[in-house]
Amino acid sequence: MIKDIFEGILKDKFATIALIVLIFIYFCLFFAEFIAPYSMNYTDRQLSYVPPSPIFTIDENGKLSKPYTYNYKRTYDEELMQTVFKLDRSKKYYLKFFARGEEYSFLWFIPMDRHLITVDNDGRLYLLGGDINGRDVFSRLLFGGRISMTIGFLALFVLFPIGLLYGGISGYFGGKIDMFMMRFAEAVMSIPSFYLLIILAAVLPSNMTSSQRLTLIVVILALIGWAGFARVVRGMVLSIKNQDFVKSAKMAGSSDLRIIIKEVLPQTTSYVIVAMTLSVPGYILSESGLSFLGLGIQQPDASWGNMLKEAQEYINILYRPWLLTPGFLIFVAVLSFNLIGDTIRDILDPKSKTR
Amino acid sequence: MKRILYIILSIIFLTICLKACIKRDIPPKERLNNRILKTDVTFKFPQESRNVVLGGVDYLQSQAPVGKFGGEMVVSTIGEGPKTFNPFTSKDAVSSSMSGLMFDSLFTISPNDGKVIPKLAKSYETKDGKKYIVHLRQGIKWSDGKPITADDVVFTWNKIILAGLGNTSTRDAVVIDGKLPKVTKIDNYTVKFEILKPFSPFIRLISVQIAPKHIFEPVTKQGARAFDMFYSTNTKPDNFVTSGAFRLKEYKAAQRVVFERNSDYYMLNKKNQKLPYLDKIIYLIVGDLNNEILKFEGHEIDVISLRGSNVAPYKIKEADSDYKIYNLGADTGTMFVAINLNPRRNSENKFYVDPKKQYWFSDKDFRTAIDYALDRKNMVQNIANGLAKPLFTAESLNSIFLNTKIKGHERNLKKAKEVLINAGFKYGNNKKLYDKFGNRVEFDLYTNAGNTEREAIGVMVKQDLEDLGMRVNFKPVEFNTLVNKMTTTFDWDMIIMGLTGSPLEPHDGLNVWHSKGSLHLFNQRTEDDKKDDRFTFEKRLDEIFESAALQTTFASRKKLYDEYQQIVYDEKPFIYLYSPVRMVAVRKKFRNIYPSQLLGITYNIEEIYKDKY
Repeated sequence: MIKDIFEGILKDKFATIALIVLIFIYFCLFFAEFIAPYSMNYTDRQLSYVPPSPIFTIDENGKLSKPYTYNYKRTYDEELMQTVFKLDRSKKYYLKFFARGEEYSFLWFIPMDRHLITVDNDGRLYLLGGDINGRDVFSRLLFGGRISMTIGFLALFVLFPIGLLYGGISGYFGGKIDMFMMRFAEAVMSIPSFYLLIILAAVLPSNMTSSQRLTLIVVILALIGWAGFARVVRGMVLSIKNQDFVKSAKMAGSSDLRIIIKEVLPQTTSYVIVAMTLSVPGYILSESGLSFLGLGIQQPDASWGNMLKEAQEYINILYRPWLLTPGFLIFVAVLSFNLIGDTIRDILDPKSKTR
Repeated sequence: MKRILYIILSIIFLTICLKACIKRDIPPKERLNNRILKTDVTFKFPQESRNVVLGGVDYLQSQAPVGKFGGEMVVSTIGEGPKTFNPFTSKDAVSSSMSGLMFDSLFTISPNDGKVIPKLAKSYETKDGKKYIVHLRQGIKWSDGKPITADDVVFTWNKIILAGLGNTSTRDAVVIDGKLPKVTKIDNYTVKFEILKPFSPFIRLISVQIAPKHIFEPVTKQGARAFDMFYSTNTKPDNFVTSGAFRLKEYKAAQRVVFERNSDYYMLNKKNQKLPYLDKIIYLIVGDLNNEILKFEGHEIDVISLRGSNVAPYKIKEADSDYKIYNLGADTGTMFVAINLNPRRNSENKFYVDPKKQYWFSDKDFRTAIDYALDRKNMVQNIANGLAKPLFTAESLNSIFLNTKIKGHERNLKKAKEVLINAGFKYGNNKKLYDKFGNRVEFDLYTNAGNTEREAIGVMVKQDLEDLGMRVNFKPVEFNTLVNKMTTTFDWDMIIMGLTGSPLEPHDGLNVWHSKGSLHLFNQRTEDDKKDDRFTFEKRLDEIFESAALQTTFASRKKLYDEYQQIVYDEKPFIYLYSPVRMVAVRKKFRNIYPSQLLGITYNIEEIYKDKY
């Protein structure tokens, strides 16, 4: 079936592009330390809100040259009351590939100091400009994306096993058990999750690190979110349980739990895969939403949501558009997940194909 | 055919990509600087208003240039708008300023030097600082035509303020040695205030608004609950009986508050015409700062307060715009890092602060090292966009009691490390800092989440202290959690906070600096903490605050308040970071604008007029 899905995706142009984009994003995030010129917390205080470094390939005499950049010099204009950045054209910094830079541990254990792209030590290469503290937005995007893009999968690991088992048991046994379990699921569904989160943010112990907090919040979100999924699974199980192969398994004397897990639930796979792909973007968005509200990942850690928060101010949207890049990435990632999810649904359920 | 289309498309795409990669390095031509901008730093004020008698009525004559009548001014207020229009029950700034527009106070302060000057009252006299005789204006009226007399003043004080109705903050402030002041009527236009000891903030405290006795008296008899509901935002505009330059015309919840001119006000211009000039003042209730800025851009509001990076875009456009930006100098707000020096245990006999950390925090050298490690220059530059001033004193920079001898210092990491080593701290491998018992120096730094400014400060403070080898866990937490930590559980190490003070009255800082104060953050006591375990410097601060309020001359008070600022600077329970600079943009069509460091822009709303522009 996996093979079918892949072939299906490759046949659909949009889904292919989406898949390539996602693979590219995850690849970059996985090798973030290597690709990013700087570490997440690398700070140059002279470069608060610095514009992106320009990269020149034709020098001032009009000749083709190795790509190079200049440093920005900060001055303060007392009259206009603003910080002014000017290119310091006295020294060129040539881009160096695979050169030595800050030390890090590659894949969390191999010590390394080579970076994909760097400049000399006293040069600064801020490809997407700087944030308020003078940190490189491009590097932070890569490190921040790790949290934003994996948090969805974490939620899936909590949500789906619970939902599947709950829905399976409820549908299989039916009767009073079903009635009781479904009323309970409906009760869970009616918990107002957003207000719960705001309360949680106030109650959670403050000595947790922000990634611990976010993990916990997402797990809690998932603990509420399983109910809707369980209800659909139960509906499917109701029709599956009357089929012959289930009856024959019963005759053969298998235990109920074994029948549910081995015979009934595998029949719901196609729905599960589609539901999973389509719920990942929801969690990416909720991470950014939570961090945006100050409930998720907190400074100095980065995530796309809390980086986007910096762009919230009117003045930043107008004058520092590079702060909006995390928003663009969230958009691309969510769109890609949705495109793939749609395509998978069409592949697994040809009847619903409307195109 | 389709294939050819694809090939063409991808070629176009590639060319665009390549074009983006090839960028020519062209140095910009030096442009001539022909800006015609100037920033006002010196404030010029007209002469103070004078008392004049015309036809048996005591008027207050404004000395500002004569203007034109008519027009309206639209201002804004961020948040939910007023909660009440009753000046005696209001607890928030918005309600207070709106009720302040409707009800005049006896005195006000001079925009120039903060002196007490007459408003609703004509004058006051005092010989020994214990007895204050206040003379009222003859012939001035409430908006329903009844005269304003000594009865109203005596009633306001004895039956409302001293009786503890509404907001009791004035009452709490005038209690001296457990005794309340005595307020008595001498004749119809003279009132006597008596206190036991000379108490210098007193004259400012008695400048409160006055209520019309014939309207308020029936309500005060019904008790506190009825009083709290009185003159609420549900009251019909016609039912207000007021004394101010403007009276309420319309209130629409969460939208706007409209005030109209009081045509029988007691202020005159130099031609003896009755002020105010403006017909209407409209407050728009806006949700947040971004909303306010958009409204200003859209010419919906006439005055806006700007901070930090918001100033620059307006400054650039100022020369060919219809507004002018005024620099009001350093604000009364202060930003600081508070250190928890609390040595006590909670009810479960556990220390509020880990004893290991207490040992560091109570060490003056440790706090000094932190002070020297902080990079205030870049905080001002990056976070406040250069529109702030580094701060080292407990009094804000525009305070008339500022201790100018405290000069502060630059960031000095070397000195900070020396101080730490001399105090017995040691550096281990990797430049990590250990105390003399071998414990790694590690603590938490809190601030409220969602506030970009404070979070950015937190990131910088963390980096600065990590340069000293300390390990700092920076934790922005939800605001209510933070307040709970500061006021109830006391389980914090360091907090980045901001407070606002009064530029005229250091005594307002009593609740912060007195050891029994409710905001004595660095060593907060609960009501059950009876034992006297004050630090030596806390004892001295208590003495200073208790005695300085009883001094009568400015010089003797200044000496004491200088000492308090020096103590705070030396002991550093709070490490001050910076004070933001306040900028206000006002449309040029408004005249008689005399910005004041102490009072802001619209304090002389009666004198402001709208010119045809």
